[in-house]
Amino acid sequence: MELFTPDLGLVFWMFIAFAILFIVLAKWGWPVILKNMNERAETIDKGVEYAQQAKHQLDHAREEAQKYMEEAQAKQAEMLRDAAKMKTQIIEEAKAQAGVEAQKVMDAAKVSIEQSRKEAELQFKNEVSKFSIEIAEKMLRSQMKNDEAQVKLVDKLLDEIENN
Amino acid sequence: MKRLISLLTLLAVLIPSVAFAAEAPEEQEQKESLDVKEVIFHHLGDGYGWEVPFSHVYRIPLPVIVKAEDGKWFCFSSAKLTEVTVTEDPATKEKHEELTPVIHEVEKDGKTYRFYLAHVSEHKNKVVEIFPLTAAEQAEVNAEAIRIHSEKGGDAHHVVVPGFVLVGHEYYKEYRPFDISITKNVLALIIASILVTLMVMSVARYYARKGMRAPRKGMGFIEMLIDFIYTGVIKSSLGAKADKFAPYLLTCFFFILTMNLLGLIVIFPGGANLTGNIAITLVLAVLTFIVTNVLGSKHYWKDIFWPDVPMFLKCPLPIMQVIEIFGLFTKPAALCVRLFANMMGGHMIVITLILLIFIFAAFGTAALGTSVVVSVAFTIFMLLLDVLVSFIQAYVFTLLSALFISAAQEGGHHEETHEEEAKNDASAEVAPTAEVK
Repeated sequence: MELFTPDLGLVFWMFIAFAILFIVLAKWGWPVILKNMNERAETIDKGVEYAQQAKHQLDHAREEAQKYMEEAQAKQAEMLRDAAKMKTQIIEEAKAQAGVEAQKVMDAAKVSIEQSRKEAELQFKNEVSKFSIEIAEKMLRSQMKNDEAQVKLVDKLLDEIENN
Repeated sequence: MKRLISLLTLLAVLIPSVAFAAEAPEEQEQKESLDVKEVIFHHLGDGYGWEVPFSHVYRIPLPVIVKAEDGKWFCFSSAKLTEVTVTEDPATKEKHEELTPVIHEVEKDGKTYRFYLAHVSEHKNKVVEIFPLTAAEQAEVNAEAIRIHSEKGGDAHHVVVPGFVLVGHEYYKEYRPFDISITKNVLALIIASILVTLMVMSVARYYARKGMRAPRKGMGFIEMLIDFIYTGVIKSSLGAKADKFAPYLLTCFFFILTMNLLGLIVIFPGGANLTGNIAITLVLAVLTFIVTNVLGSKHYWKDIFWPDVPMFLKCPLPIMQVIEIFGLFTKPAALCVRLFANMMGGHMIVITLILLIFIFAAFGTAALGTSVVVSVAFTIFMLLLDVLVSFIQAYVFTLLSALFISAAQEGGHHEETHEEEAKNDASAEVAPTAEVK
């Protein structure tokens, strides 16, 4: 049967045609295509993954913003509270300081008043003693105008000394 | 679809009735009976020229390359082997063109070489080198022809005598030269190769030009096919070794698919029954056989010559070995025959369906009309089916090749991992001693 006996010429050409086709495609065709297809598949996979991540992030952005806002508010409140606390503290401190200062000033005033009082007292004493001496002198002078009075006094003094 | 069916039914009913009315009164006598076998084999087989549409006589001439008996090479146009003779019917003045083979004589180095397209010979429809016989030899061959005719019967004027070819009414001694002519099939092969190259390289070049962007339309379809075969067949059966065998398997698939589909086109660039020719499928099967066995692993060969079966099956009598070695050859043989038979069968059915028209024509015009409609409908159906079969057969060939190759690789893969493990163990053992030193 003609159909079932392979023709040598055709076998020869088929072999050559296939060999050339295979060499050409295996060198310049398939590796390029397969490499590109694999790369593209990977890129697409990565893109999908990235998009999913982005979507995920977008979905959670509102929540996150809310969270940040709440945090910020809490922080603000805390800061306000801190500031108020600090204010009262400063005022308290200032008050205390002022009290201490006033006390100091008052003490100093008291001391100086006391001192001036003492000085005045001393001066008054001196004045008084001076006046009394002058008065005594004047009285003495008036009493001691006669000799008799003088002798009497001397006697008296001498008696006193003797008694002592 | 419904409309199509109703239209066809209508045609089937109408045409015969119209034909009855128009039936010619005089019955034309058929000059020659239709040789169905001849027509089928002519369409399925190879040829030195390529038929052009609507003509049985004129053909695209192709180069004939033959090596004569004394070792000299000859190359000439196939048009020189045939001649168109025009005969005029004296009664009807109708011209009838016929293609008849002629002896092509070539003078080379003072010697005359004669080539002839054999018809009544053992090498039917092939180019043979012929040598004239002397009168005595002629008588001897004629006597032999009469003897053969009395034994086998048949046409008394066209007796095939082994070793001789009938030219006109004389026998010549024939020699079938080594023939690497660019026949119809070879040209179709070249066209298919160029088409596959263009298809694949267009996609490859597209990547070079456009980088990562996915190709569209036709190129996208080719890429889809490549991906279908690469991930669906090659990657799934060969795994890590896919890239090593992918070029061969992909080339196989696209070459077979292109040849299959080209075979279904009736006019010039197609029409050659390539994959329905056993020479083509034989080469493909042999290539798969070579790839499978040459690149097969040690484990694969061990499984053939010393399989893991009870000893009595392999030792005194090598039963398993014989079966395995037999299996080595049956696998590619099945590949070869499957593709060949499927494609040839499809072509044969289509041709037979068309021939039915000419067979039924002998029974009158009514039968002719009906058979035209039925045959054409069935032919279209068969051709559509053949498009599917073309794809399936290319796929099956690639799939089975991939499976055979992976079967020859798999054992080796395990062995390699074992070896790697062994190496790792060895290095682990070496390491402490090195530390001690």
